[in-house]
Amino acid sequence: MRKWININLVFAEMVILVFFCDQRMATPSKTPPGADPKQLERTGTVREIGSQAVWSLSSCKPGFGVDQLRDDNLETYWQSDGSQPHLVNIQFRRRTTVKMLCIYADYKSDESYTPSKISVRVGNNFHNLQEIRQLEMVEPSGWIHISLMNQRTNEPISTFMIQIAVLANHQNGRDTHMRQIKVYTPVEESSIGKFPRCTTVDFMMYRTIR
Amino acid sequence: MALRSAYLDFLYSAKSPERVVGVGGDTTSFFPALYPFYQQRRSSCFGFFRSCPLMFGPARYSPAVLGILRSCSAGNGRCVQIFGRSEERAEREKRETADRKRRTECGSGMTVLQEPVQAAVWQALNHYAYLDAVFLAERLYAEVRSEEALYLLATCYYRSGKPYKAYRLLKAHSCSTPQVRFLLAKCCVELSKLAEGEQVLIGGVLNKQKSQDDIITEFGDSASFTLSLLGHIYCKTDRVTKGAECFQRSLTLNPFLWSPFQNLCHLGEKPDPDQVFRLSSLQNLSIVPPPQSVSPAQNPSHRLDTALMETPQDTLELNRLNLESSNGKLTSDLSVSYIDSSLISPETGSLLANTVSMASAGSLLAKQNKPKSGRSLLGGPAALSPLTPSFGILPLEPSPGDPTYLQNYSATMETQSTAPSKKSVSRISQSKSVFSQSGNSRDVLPIPFNQSQTSAPHTSGSPQVLSPSMSGPPNVQPRRSSRLFTSASSTAKENSKKLKMKFPTKIPNRKTKCKSAKTSNSSNLNESLDILRLDPGLSLPDTKIPQYQRAVADSVMALLRELGRGYQALCSYNCREAINILTSLPPQHYNTGWVLTHIGRAYFELAEYTQAERLFSEVRRIESYRVEGMEIYSTTLWHLQKDVALSALSKDLTDMDKNCPEAWCVAGNCFSLQREHDIAIKFFQRAIQVDPGFAYAYTLLGHEFVLTEELDRALACFRNAIRVNNRHYNAWYGLGMIYYKQEKFNLAEIHFKKALSINPQSSVLLCHIGVVQHALKKSDAALETLNRAIGIDPKNPLCKFHRASILFANDKYKAALQELEELKQIVPKESLVYFLIGKVYKKLGQTHLALMNFSWAMDLDPKGANNQIKEAIDKRYLPEDEAAEVDDSQDSSIMTDADDTQLHTAESDDVL
Repeated sequence: MRKWININLVFAEMVILVFFCDQRMATPSKTPPGADPKQLERTGTVREIGSQAVWSLSSCKPGFGVDQLRDDNLETYWQSDGSQPHLVNIQFRRRTTVKMLCIYADYKSDESYTPSKISVRVGNNFHNLQEIRQLEMVEPSGWIHISLMNQRTNEPISTFMIQIAVLANHQNGRDTHMRQIKVYTPVEESSIGKFPRCTTVDFMMYRTIR
Repeated sequence: MALRSAYLDFLYSAKSPERVVGVGGDTTSFFPALYPFYQQRRSSCFGFFRSCPLMFGPARYSPAVLGILRSCSAGNGRCVQIFGRSEERAEREKRETADRKRRTECGSGMTVLQEPVQAAVWQALNHYAYLDAVFLAERLYAEVRSEEALYLLATCYYRSGKPYKAYRLLKAHSCSTPQVRFLLAKCCVELSKLAEGEQVLIGGVLNKQKSQDDIITEFGDSASFTLSLLGHIYCKTDRVTKGAECFQRSLTLNPFLWSPFQNLCHLGEKPDPDQVFRLSSLQNLSIVPPPQSVSPAQNPSHRLDTALMETPQDTLELNRLNLESSNGKLTSDLSVSYIDSSLISPETGSLLANTVSMASAGSLLAKQNKPKSGRSLLGGPAALSPLTPSFGILPLEPSPGDPTYLQNYSATMETQSTAPSKKSVSRISQSKSVFSQSGNSRDVLPIPFNQSQTSAPHTSGSPQVLSPSMSGPPNVQPRRSSRLFTSASSTAKENSKKLKMKFPTKIPNRKTKCKSAKTSNSSNLNESLDILRLDPGLSLPDTKIPQYQRAVADSVMALLRELGRGYQALCSYNCREAINILTSLPPQHYNTGWVLTHIGRAYFELAEYTQAERLFSEVRRIESYRVEGMEIYSTTLWHLQKDVALSALSKDLTDMDKNCPEAWCVAGNCFSLQREHDIAIKFFQRAIQVDPGFAYAYTLLGHEFVLTEELDRALACFRNAIRVNNRHYNAWYGLGMIYYKQEKFNLAEIHFKKALSINPQSSVLLCHIGVVQHALKKSDAALETLNRAIGIDPKNPLCKFHRASILFANDKYKAALQELEELKQIVPKESLVYFLIGKVYKKLGQTHLALMNFSWAMDLDPKGANNQIKEAIDKRYLPEDEAAEVDDSQDSSIMTDADDTQLHTAESDDVL
């Protein structure tokens, strides 16, 4: 049934546009897109560590799996193929400090496949996961940054496993699309001493021997 | 043909068998020609033919030779024995090659075939036509299957960049001659079959291993290279002392070698350049001028020797040169007919202009008679350029014989500048090509055949084609042959062992060499000198030659000594000294890639990156093709965060050479600066893949792994770097860094100190040690270390900063503040300094100053990367935190903001 809607939408773009406008008017507080995480990486304060983890999915349509979710390409996506909640499990080899997650969602392309309610859980394994964030999105189009800082201590959490659960989609869609997920850890200063980062080259070049 | 036989007749009448042989063209045809001549002088006939077997290779068993030998040795028992043996062997060989011979067109086609083909192969090699050379050598080897052809084929494979082919080829055949074994060992090393290479050189584990002396006697002239190779093997297999010994020995044998010296420096040895780069072992040869009666014989033979070392064209030229120079009468008669421009090969021909101008410049100098001014010996450009050449010029020491020498010189110049002078001057030029082509030193070539091949139409009629062995003046030859005769018993063994494979025409020369220079040492040096030497025989009296040789060699040695001292200082990380030595080099050497790279390297080790960058960019300007040292340049740029220059460099180098580790290190550094660590890791891994012996690539890879927090893999990388080169202090530093991160401060200190023992002048290392000592609660030691570091490099801001922070942690606020004020002068734009000043003022209770400094710190932090600063400022508005924070700061050994953040949560907003 959902597929039918999809196809229908593809063939009748006008309808989509109208539909869009309606939605926009209905919910003015659209989720604003965050900054491109690549720019954050460039600042040297965070580092992507998704490649160190084992990724698994609750379900997927063949050819729309983890590879597409992690291929750094916003055109490809993971598409679930099962019952909700749709889960993405990220397991690390060791206890890992995680500062934030970035998820790319595009309501313009994904329509009713776009997730609207997401829960993030962390824990040591599947059995002791605890939800630390839950967020609702409204027609997101771009990167969504989910901070995983400990609310109490304001420190990045340290965990073996992260689970992202898609609890609901827009327009009550059943299956979901996720285009990219990135996991970021704070970069420790490679210099000695626990000082803040130095800012000038004059200072920085004496920081380390290479 | 008619002309030729006429000339033969002429030579018969002149009673000079050498020339007959030379003109003969091929071995089969001249024997009958010689026969009648020797009938008249049976005694010398035997001597001559006794040397025939050695000289003419396979042809010695031809029926013609045997017939002659038999006829002139009637009644001599020993000779019969010899001939019997040779006949036996001839029979055997005949049987072996019977079918092959049948295939060839004429009976003795083998030799006829072999020699021109050999010449063609060498010619192809010299013109970089490796495909042709390989093809021809393969044909030749298929035809004759001799060890000589095998060597030639293997050489072709090796030179065409296929050492594995040469290796398998040589491996499949037993190789006995030192030449072949050296090549095999070289291939083994190249294919990193070190044990096998060692076995080839010094014998296996089961056999008795050869000592260095054995190697020297066995390999003779190439012993220095062999020992260098052996030393390389030893070093790779972690037998450093033996390796160092080999390098030392190699250097004493041949002080012109640089790489053994370099390797010694890398091993951490401190070879004394003044001891290494001198020509002590040469003295017996070149200082003592040979007696006048001997010199005419000696010198041509030496020159012939050089000639034989060279490529066919050069040999030809030198040959004729010798002819002219040594045989005055003949020169004056025939020099006009000798002019044969077709024989002057393109590259040598192009040098004519140079040398003519050189000669004229030289004669000018001589005429002006300025003994102190020095005289260019290395060609026109050097003489004409405004720079003072450092070894092209002979420093003319005021010796007693000096004025006469100059007069002699000018006199000879004048006599030479009569009618045929232009030509003879141009002949001098060939010696320059000798210098430039000194690569093929072991290639002995059959001159007559080569001649007939390269310029068949011309030489067939002209008389100048003479075998090198026979080109001495007529009065010399009998003496030599008699020497051959007399020394035959003593050198026969050696010859049969050593020279089976070498081309027979070389034998007489070798003998004279053996006689003139008893040890292989000096003959070796003699050879290198011969290569170096400009052939002064035409214009200078023979007795003077060794002095000039020596003067040139001495000036080369002086240069090498300077370079050696600089390099050694750099390798022992006396960077200031290295910079001083290298900068004081003469400008034409200073402005070369090698020197500038090493000065840049010295600045790099001193952490003076801007200077280093200046020098390296100069290197790039002068020698854009240089890859050695570019990894250092890239790290310099990495430190300076010049990403544009770095990516341009990376692009250029990877485009240029994808097979050198330096290019990939540069690329990795480029991506590391962009914080794309995964790609950087790939590139560093590629660098290691390209050259697993490149220690710096491991270190850089280790640093990347540290940045991606994969500390175990980083440890492995640093350890690998140390495995490759245990004097690579950067890797020791990396290990220390990891241990510091893991808060294993003791281990960290040990590793930092190890690094410091290699590079004792590094202020950055000292700074790290100071910080570790502080972390170990050894604050006094830490301050002392930091003081030392500041003493070494007063400009290092980080040392001062850490000193200030240690003072701060020890509650010496005033001292800390003073330190920070000084620091502010050095780095006025560093927010961290203001941050720390703010903290100090906060401690001192001067809130407004603290706030001012904090806000400056904020302003100077362009990316807002440090929320610690923000938090510290925020804290100012929360006076209740004050007391708690004071306690915390005193607890924490190194000022840390972790506790600050813990305390301060209420107002913290999500960073993102």
